[in-house]
Amino acid sequence: MLTKKQKRVNWALTIVLLVLSLFFLFPVAWMLANSFKPDAAITADMNTVAAFIPPMPGGGFFNNYVSILTNTNFLRYMLNTLFYAAILIVCGVVVNGLAGYALAKIRFPFRERWVLLILLLQIVPMETILTIHFLMIAKVGLLNTVLGYILPMIVNPFNIFLFRQVFLNLPDDVYEAAQLDFCSPLKYFFTMVLPMSKTVVATVSVFTFLNVWNDYLWPSLVFTSSNLLTAQIGLNSITSNDNTTMGQTLAVITMVTIPVIIIYSLFSKQIVEGVTSTGSKEG
Amino acid sequence: MSFIEFKNINKKYENAERNSVTDFNLAIEEKEFIAFVGPSGCGKSTTLRMVAGFEEITSGDLYIDGKRVNDVAPRDRGIAMVFQNYALYPHMTVEKNIGYGLRNMKVPEAEVQKKVNWAIRILGLEEFRTRKPKNLSGGQRQRVALGRAIVKNQKLFLMDEPLSNLDAKLRVSMRNEISKLHRELGTTTIYVTHDQVEAMTMADRIVIMKDGVVQQAGAPMELYEHPVNKFVAGFIGSPQMNFYPVSVSGKEMKFRDGSKVSLPDPVAARLNGKSGDLIMGIRGEDIKMDRASLEAYSKDMQKCVVENTEVMGNENNLYFTFGGSLTVARVSKYEVKMIGDPVEFVFLPEKMHFFDKDTESAI
Repeated sequence: MLTKKQKRVNWALTIVLLVLSLFFLFPVAWMLANSFKPDAAITADMNTVAAFIPPMPGGGFFNNYVSILTNTNFLRYMLNTLFYAAILIVCGVVVNGLAGYALAKIRFPFRERWVLLILLLQIVPMETILTIHFLMIAKVGLLNTVLGYILPMIVNPFNIFLFRQVFLNLPDDVYEAAQLDFCSPLKYFFTMVLPMSKTVVATVSVFTFLNVWNDYLWPSLVFTSSNLLTAQIGLNSITSNDNTTMGQTLAVITMVTIPVIIIYSLFSKQIVEGVTSTGSKEG
Repeated sequence: MSFIEFKNINKKYENAERNSVTDFNLAIEEKEFIAFVGPSGCGKSTTLRMVAGFEEITSGDLYIDGKRVNDVAPRDRGIAMVFQNYALYPHMTVEKNIGYGLRNMKVPEAEVQKKVNWAIRILGLEEFRTRKPKNLSGGQRQRVALGRAIVKNQKLFLMDEPLSNLDAKLRVSMRNEISKLHRELGTTTIYVTHDQVEAMTMADRIVIMKDGVVQQAGAPMELYEHPVNKFVAGFIGSPQMNFYPVSVSGKEMKFRDGSKVSLPDPVAARLNGKSGDLIMGIRGEDIKMDRASLEAYSKDMQKCVVENTEVMGNENNLYFTFGGSLTVARVSKYEVKMIGDPVEFVFLPEKMHFFDKDTESAI
């Protein structure tokens, strides 16, 4: 039972948070409302409340979106990014999951030291090792290929650690029972461990998707062919083009932002769990 | 050669100061139901896990069905196991849990269905077949674990404290179900428990362990009537056997408080001339308060005051201090005594057990 004082504090906190969330929502609302308007209307509505109100649906309502999707390769860039994200989610869950499982459940010399080393790797900023990744990928002739883009991104110390922490809590007797049920270690991992750890698999998948979707630096280093570019690079190239109108720019930004908002709202539980279970945050 | 043979089995964990299991020797015949009992940390579960192949054997040889299995993988030992915490696959339904092993063994699907249906029927799980473990009670989960073990037609069942997570009433009914299953299937079973009642009621033979060493192996009544040492005598039976430090001289036994009891010739002969300080043990039901016994042993009759009573329904337990030790006597439910009531009682001399004061071995 809350006391009167606690209730008052809760109310005050709710009001402060509502005001804060409005503050953060303003730019998004502005972007969304103006992405449906022609440039003349955007300029006219500037500095008025109308800037936050979308036009009435009717002819030409989706003009900015239609022109972006028909006159540029942006749809392809988005599909490219979804494709890379899908591959990286599958590979990331398998590779990082197996590593996390080994570090949690298999006894081998210096296991705890390995865990420490993997934790230490998290300190190293991604940008500092991009050059090394780039040189390696160039050396093996994988520049401007999907494989060259994906390979260095599969192994992720944060995800390995996340998997390990969850797998530590899996009961050993289930593995023993599975052994007596003629289940091989690899089959056990895929048919038992992963289904029993759906939450962490979802968490890692969400983090991987967000990483790939928001990544700009690595794909801009690896890809030169316009067929392989990702949404973020597409966004940059479209918005920096002088012929792109302000409305089109806002439509592109909206298209890049909306999947992230959807993912955050659908999987907020997994994201919070991922952050709290390791006591750390990525990205 | 017996169906299972343990030959000088030792188990020592890395960095441990002493063995968890020391010089374990035992032969188990086919279709036998063997119970390993003992207090926590006595090595009974470790021994079972060595049979399963989940623990390495430090030294010694283990044979199953004539084959040395020290280095054989668990899946190739022909065993099925029921775990203390059930170890069910949480994301699978009851029928998938039971059929999982068979499907991995590449048994034809029709045969899998037949066996799963059979197990579900005899374990009374029909209405739960599509439920997942989290939607089952403890007893139902344990039955699924049993189902998983019995469908595979393995030659040996291992059960690691399978009833310890169930409430008392369910434990009794599951005890009966396991015994019935064993009678029907005739599969050799090793059953680990810390509950001597489970061991007494279910097993053909009981192996009692303490500190990794087998104290005694034998039929339940053999252990009850002829314990080889004070530990076994105290572990088997409820309430526990009463023990008294006594001094024996000829045919006279003197308690610490000065009370004396005479020993009849057959009892004195059992002592083989041993005299001096010994430990005398006697079970609660062998302390008699009925008129006939009091008359028969009138010159050795003792008197005490009841300190506590336990009404069990079918009988009463009376507690009093005698010979410097707290004593419990099991008497008929018709002998109603209250706390503070004086009681007269005698020890049945032929039911007395004697143990060496130093080694605690039976004399």
